[in-house]
Amino acid sequence: MKNLLEHTGIEPGRLHFSWISSAESTKFVDVVTKITDEVKTLDPANKKYVKTEPKVD
Amino acid sequence: MTDYTDKIKEIAKRVLAEGKVDMVIGFRAGTVPMMNQPHYAASAEAVEEMIWDSNCGLNLANYLTDKKGKIGIIAKGCDSRNIVTHVIENKIKRDQLYIIGVPCTGMIDHHKINAMFDKEILKVEESGDQITISGSGFSETVSKQDLLAENCAVCTHRNPVEYDELAGELVDEQADVDQYASVSKVEAMTADEKWDYFDDLLSTCIRCYACRNACPLCYCPTCFVDESRPQWVGKSQDPTDVRTFHLLRAYHCAGRCTDCGACERVCPMGIKIREFTKKLNKDCKELYGWEAGLSLDQRPPLDTFKADDPEEFIK
Amino acid sequence: MKLIKVDKKSLDQGIEKAKSAYRVFGPVKEKSDHDFKLLDKEQLPDLDFQNTRLSPKSVIYPQSQIMFQYSLDESKEDCRIMKEVENVTSPMAVIGVRPCDALSFPIVRRNFDTPEYQDTYWVKAYEATTFVGLACNSACGTCFCTSAGTGPFGEEGLDVLLIAEGNDFYVKPLTEKGESFVQAAGWAGEVESAAASKIEEMKTAAEASITATVDTDKLRDKTTLDLYDAPFWEEEAFSCINCGTCTYVCPTCWCFDVQDETCGKSGIRMRNWDSCMFPLFTHHASGHNPRDVKYQRVRQRFMHKLKYYVDKYDNGIQCVGCGRCIRLCPVNIDIRRICNKMNSFDAESCVCEATSS
Repeated sequence: MKNLLEHTGIEPGRLHFSWISSAESTKFVDVVTKITDEVKTLDPANKKYVKTEPKVD
Repeated sequence: MTDYTDKIKEIAKRVLAEGKVDMVIGFRAGTVPMMNQPHYAASAEAVEEMIWDSNCGLNLANYLTDKKGKIGIIAKGCDSRNIVTHVIENKIKRDQLYIIGVPCTGMIDHHKINAMFDKEILKVEESGDQITISGSGFSETVSKQDLLAENCAVCTHRNPVEYDELAGELVDEQADVDQYASVSKVEAMTADEKWDYFDDLLSTCIRCYACRNACPLCYCPTCFVDESRPQWVGKSQDPTDVRTFHLLRAYHCAGRCTDCGACERVCPMGIKIREFTKKLNKDCKELYGWEAGLSLDQRPPLDTFKADDPEEFIK
Repeated sequence: MKLIKVDKKSLDQGIEKAKSAYRVFGPVKEKSDHDFKLLDKEQLPDLDFQNTRLSPKSVIYPQSQIMFQYSLDESKEDCRIMKEVENVTSPMAVIGVRPCDALSFPIVRRNFDTPEYQDTYWVKAYEATTFVGLACNSACGTCFCTSAGTGPFGEEGLDVLLIAEGNDFYVKPLTEKGESFVQAAGWAGEVESAAASKIEEMKTAAEASITATVDTDKLRDKTTLDLYDAPFWEEEAFSCINCGTCTYVCPTCWCFDVQDETCGKSGIRMRNWDSCMFPLFTHHASGHNPRDVKYQRVRQRFMHKLKYYVDKYDNGIQCVGCGRCIRLCPVNIDIRRICNKMNSFDAESCVCEATSS
């Protein structure tokens, strides 16, 4: 999943997978903090990944 | 490969006469160069129309999905691998089938050949490993090896993996081919370059869905792009929607694709659609040592769990 | 109207000049094939082509077209009001339309421009457009325009016909619209006295180069249900994969599907080409699908083009013989083969055959 998305040009660091149990609240906070920090270093996603109105010629 | 035709006809007539099958699925000669037509024969007369040459690149396993009755089918290496996949996925029963195996030396690429000439090609003839292409005022003979479809050029399973009878001697498998050269080229790009590469690749897509429909793996009763309640993806020419279709189509083929090249062959716009599935095939090979459709006894990696499955992506 | 002769250079200069008054479209080779594109400044059409991969229908009738806009913002006065998107009325010109494709516009017009109903998007674009055709000196092997109501020098649907002769072009204005375009392009040049007979000779030679024909003479007299129930549909449809290639590349396929897309508080209503090959095309809200299986959809496409249209308009078949569907069908379903089968179908003898076996 991750590999093909990154192969087609989604930057590494935008897609994260993690296994967190409902009992692991600290891990959840750590992971989310780390992800948001990492994603913030990238360009705003809406430049190309987010569709707003359809772009048609 | 043209000499297989007589043998195929002989086998087809025999299995029909013996009542082993109700029909035999194969090809008949097309009405335009390099385009043979999938065809079924239920009688000896209809068998006479059958043909085998280097223009039989479509995957006939596509015509087996959920078929009833006993069916004879001509299968080159990739078709046989998709038949195996169909059996594993319960889309057909092995004992319904009489597989006439065709050791394959590759199919020629009509997109590539059309692009080689400015003028319209009116005739393509095959003699041994030489292909003669001619039209109004020109005629050129080229080695078949130079005209192979890209998937055929890097194929390492030319012989059928599953068959009841062969229409010819087994051929030597190709060694020393870099199956994933095109993937490696893209892997070396930066993220932005990759994005632009696939943007350009899909820029001519007209969403006819020929790639999906020619693929034996795409047999869902309703494809996600055709769902309307809820609707998962827009239907316009919007590039995000076009890319979404292609990405999801590819994911659905993960661990199942045999790189038969049917998707690319049928694309009216000549898009290199295998660029998506090829990456997944490479990952499957590297992560699970898996190539689809080689054995009836093994479950595909994505529908089994093993304690040692790679999981570096999970943090 | 007066026949003109220009050399390639004046032709190109004229096209460039016309761009000040028209948005000019023409065939451009991108990647491996020619397709019609809006020409940028200084960009010239590439007239060295047999025919484009996709037909010029998209110039008038784009694959995806936004029709309305709306807002769901309650604070705005026009909330929930569908507003028509301003559609193009500035003059357009399409250069290099082949005569087969030119005939597709009057055919499609019978559907989109009727006394009871006018498709405003199509009609406005059509009326704003000048069609500058390019006669075919040599046909493709799959062309059968001469059996489909036109020919390599056919004029129906065109405003100007260009005829290439060596490095020169004869320019033949056919309508007032065409005359205006010729003036805007500034094309003027005397023709030699034998020009008319020379063109006639070229036309005869071009027509002779069409090797494929179909018979359509008996289609109208057939009983619709006999053809509908003909036994060949399942066999002919066997190879079909139900992709949309034939319909999307066809200059006369006009069906579309309407979609709403909303993003946040604003949205649009658009239409996209649709295809009778797709199961969703006739899928009812109830879940029922009257064309549930593949052969029914294949039958629909050919029955529409070669029987229903023929009966409804009494004006030939809904096919111009461009041969695109034959060239591009991934599984070689050939409309010539099917048309001949339909035309020669004899329900009575067929019944006999079925009962005797």
